[in-house]
Amino acid sequence: MIHMNDVMKVYDNGAVALNHVNVDIKKGEFVFLVGPSGAGKSTFIKMLLREVLPSSGILTVNGRDVIRMSTRDVPYLRRSLGVIFQDYRLLPDKTVYENIAFAMQVIEAPRRMMQRNVNNVLDIVGLRDKYKCFPNQLSGGEQQRVAIARAIVNNPAIVIADEPTGNLDPETSWGIMDIFKSINASGTTIVMATHDKTIVDAMQKRVIAIENGEIVRDEARGGYGYEN
Amino acid sequence: MKISTTEYFVSEVAHSLKRNNWMSVASIGTVAVSLFIFGMFLMLVMNLNKMVESLESQVQIQVYLRDDFSRESAKELEVDLKSMQGVEKVTFIPKEEAMEKFKERLGDQKTLLDALDETNPLPDSFEVMLIQPELVKTAAEAIERFEGVETAKYGQDVMEHLFDITRLIRIFGFALMLVLALATLFIIANTIRLTVFARRKEIAIMKYVGATDWFIRWPFVLEGMVMGLFGSIIASIMLRFTYSGIVAKIYSTLAFFPLIPEQPFLNYITVVVIIGGMIMGAIGSTVSIKRFLKV
Repeated sequence: MIHMNDVMKVYDNGAVALNHVNVDIKKGEFVFLVGPSGAGKSTFIKMLLREVLPSSGILTVNGRDVIRMSTRDVPYLRRSLGVIFQDYRLLPDKTVYENIAFAMQVIEAPRRMMQRNVNNVLDIVGLRDKYKCFPNQLSGGEQQRVAIARAIVNNPAIVIADEPTGNLDPETSWGIMDIFKSINASGTTIVMATHDKTIVDAMQKRVIAIENGEIVRDEARGGYGYEN
Repeated sequence: MKISTTEYFVSEVAHSLKRNNWMSVASIGTVAVSLFIFGMFLMLVMNLNKMVESLESQVQIQVYLRDDFSRESAKELEVDLKSMQGVEKVTFIPKEEAMEKFKERLGDQKTLLDALDETNPLPDSFEVMLIQPELVKTAAEAIERFEGVETAKYGQDVMEHLFDITRLIRIFGFALMLVLALATLFIIANTIRLTVFARRKEIAIMKYVGATDWFIRWPFVLEGMVMGLFGSIIASIMLRFTYSGIVAKIYSTLAFFPLIPEQPFLNYITVVVIIGGMIMGAIGSTVSIKRFLKV
């Protein structure tokens, strides 16, 4: 699914964000990305989305050569990825239903599929009865569920989450993790950057630790490894 | 393009124009004013061109012959003049005919000629028309060197000044039209930039879920074109009324002033202004959105 071979990222100001990174993530894996702030987690994630282009090395995502791909093909790469952010990034003037349908609308998905898919993901995240609500009428946890629904409505092969529980209390965070677990159980690969020690320790999934742009640990069933 | 996508674009544009209604109205108004001035200058420059053309086509050299030059020699000279390069037409005007014309021109005052006692002081002459009126000066100088020619006149000073002035007005007019076109583009770009800025989060989300750049761009480009369209329609209406008014006013005092007739000229101007306005709108919004597509 994701293959990085000797990937380097040096920003224009000379800062080395990623240094000789080698990673292989297979279909259906659940991977935590941990490490201190500014270690390179964000760059790692942005590269998968081709928001940031590696300086050198080989990077393939879903069989696509991210480095050599033309700018025109980037939208098609992103259609195979679902992204979730710490701050939800919902559109405030659209309802829950419209926020999710928006993701299908803008890739010109057939209209008859829209209602079925949106209802389907609303069931997965447990918000079927709130589809008419606007984001400001929802709690943080509920907003994040909408964001997850939006990320998976186009059936992506990989879900990428950047600190999805960063703004949520522990109990709500577990609700979110349960959703991720069920998405993962259906075969979707999940890459999640997080600072949440409790979650990483409890989940016992693959952990990749990045420090100063280098992978310092890659364990199949690891813990968070840092003191919070 | 899919029907649902088209619907989406149209509703986006309608929403956006409504959401920023005052801003949109202000921009459309400003675009209308600047396209109106643009159109006025376009019409002015085109009318000047027409005027200059009609004046230029009237440029002719009056070649006056010496009194002692015989009619036979004049015939030979006519052949020589006709064979000159750049000469379009040569007409011989015998002194008798010149006198008739002079009398006509004097009209009621032709009794003044009684003082001449039937003698005719006017010389025989030729009227020489040139293919290229700009060459009038050189041609006149060449003609003066012919045997039997007294003088060759063409209203030297007037013509040369006229050429200078019209050249200046043309250059100035085109420069001003260019500036106004850029101003229109800038006004639309600025308004669209506000819309784009207000919706930058939406654009970022669209980028993340894999919308193509053109899909994101289209509603904004359409919005710019709609603003250009509305502005140019208002400008065209104002232009039509203004031009009709001016034409009526000028004809009431100077009936033979060489103005371009209203039709089909005004339709042509309307088409130019509307297409121009829409193109400016499309370019303006494309420029505005460029920066926000880099996600």
